[in-house]
Amino acid sequence: MNLEPAFPLQRRSRWSGLGAFIGTELRVQLHEVLSIGVSVIVQAVFLVFVSVLARQYLPYTIIGAVVFSTFQIGQRVQNESAWIRIDHKLHELYHASPMTPEAYFLGMSIGILLAYCAPILVLSGAAEYFVRFSGTAALIFLGVLACEFVFTASVGYMISTWFRNMRSIWPYSTLFFNFFGVLPPVFYPLWLFPSALQPIILILPTAGGTALVEHASGLLALPLDWILIAAVSLVGGALLAFVGAVYWARRISRER
Amino acid sequence: MQTDALRAESVRKVYRGRNSPDIEALSGVSLRISKGERIALLGRNGAGKTTFLRISSTLLAPTSGSVSIFGRDAIADPEAVRPYLAVVPQEGKPFMHLTPREQAYTYLRARGFSAETAKARAEHALEQMGLTEVADRLSITLSGGQRQRTMVATVISTEAPLLFLDEPTIGMDPFARRGVWDSFRELTRKGSTILLTTHYLDEAEALSQRLYIIDEGRLLAEGTADDLKRSVGGTLRVSVVSGDGITAQLATFGPLVRDGDTVHVITGPQRIQEILELAAHSKLTATVGPVTLEEAFLRVVGRSINDES
Repeated sequence: MNLEPAFPLQRRSRWSGLGAFIGTELRVQLHEVLSIGVSVIVQAVFLVFVSVLARQYLPYTIIGAVVFSTFQIGQRVQNESAWIRIDHKLHELYHASPMTPEAYFLGMSIGILLAYCAPILVLSGAAEYFVRFSGTAALIFLGVLACEFVFTASVGYMISTWFRNMRSIWPYSTLFFNFFGVLPPVFYPLWLFPSALQPIILILPTAGGTALVEHASGLLALPLDWILIAAVSLVGGALLAFVGAVYWARRISRER
Repeated sequence: MQTDALRAESVRKVYRGRNSPDIEALSGVSLRISKGERIALLGRNGAGKTTFLRISSTLLAPTSGSVSIFGRDAIADPEAVRPYLAVVPQEGKPFMHLTPREQAYTYLRARGFSAETAKARAEHALEQMGLTEVADRLSITLSGGQRQRTMVATVISTEAPLLFLDEPTIGMDPFARRGVWDSFRELTRKGSTILLTTHYLDEAEALSQRLYIIDEGRLLAEGTADDLKRSVGGTLRVSVVSGDGITAQLATFGPLVRDGDTVHVITGPQRIQEILELAAHSKLTATVGPVTLEEAFLRVVGRSINDES
């Protein structure tokens, strides 16, 4: 066969095109200045509200806000992925190309993370001011945020493919926010949650991750078995979700 | 041996309904496209054009059948053939917050082109599509036709060996459509192969070297536009509006093709005068013109290409 292609056909890695697609998504998202700004303001207003109402819980709330801001990246991945697929059909442009479906999924996720890192950075600065992390606690905090991102972006991407119209996604986003952020002990300390359910709720990545950071920074004393529950759930959940998202991205790149 | 750019054998697709009956969108479609050909898949809305194009371009799995692209099995190993493809999806839109220049450039970069090549190719494609003037405007500010041209520019800038174009000129003005056609001709001159779907008869005729007529998931005819027109049985048509009452008499002059309440008589120049006199005698309006692809389509499918029923 003599194709004499005027374009690159050499064997490419699984992640080829990732950098270019991160750049694409970053450019697209940075036009949403208002949305990025609002994401900072909403969290800041919430912190003011807590500092007036229950100042003693402010350090917990700030750590929870950082964790949840990172977790919300998944919601944005979900919305963006669905928007591109349902409204723009641009996924077909990228799937019928040398770029792999997993590079598409990860590129979109990292691009959104970079665009929406402002609330995470601002809140992390506030957390450092109020909590004063040790080196170890800071590393655990970073690790927790990395797991939150991987878990939530993976789950958000998978869920985005279930919807056939954008209107269905909006109520789901509210449910997502309440189930992972408002109900479990993310913005408030673990001990305020019903005691019998405390080890169980640590399975949730938001609650477990927050508790781990609070434990590492001396705000909370978790027994060893609870630490294991939270850590294994968080890391295992992130790994499983990522493997699942890569599998799913490949599978849905060709509809059934 | 010449390898086909695309070879489809008995491709069938059934959409399974959850709370509704199954829909058979394709019923055993087989076709072959040689390297460098420009082929149109012509059909009414819902005929199965997009389903076939999406299966061929690895975006949709068939229920059964086989598709190979440049000799590689596109069903068993879609990733092996994807580097050879580029697709303009039906009703696709560029990123609203990218400019046409950014859209084409970033897409080429994602496909593995160097920055320098991507820049040069994006510029050339934008120029071909007449988008230079608006190349730095966000797509959200562009008209529907300009957005569609941005999608086409993005895809043709790849010069991929096999391009799938699903209704590529929809929403464009006639002038822009001709510009797009020229760019497709240039691509095939350079060696690319193009499969496009359209329900514009003039587009299929002007652009395709061969065309397939598809209806209700089946390929009904194949050939050049001239072949298909010849198959109608004459060189001229006389169209008689509300001619149902004189159908029997009209049928004596040649084959009839119906389009709503108009009856087209396919005939030769020697019979024209008689048909016009018959129409005038029956107080009916009649017009004369060359046989077009429309009559060929009507004869093959039995319905107008604009018939949505």
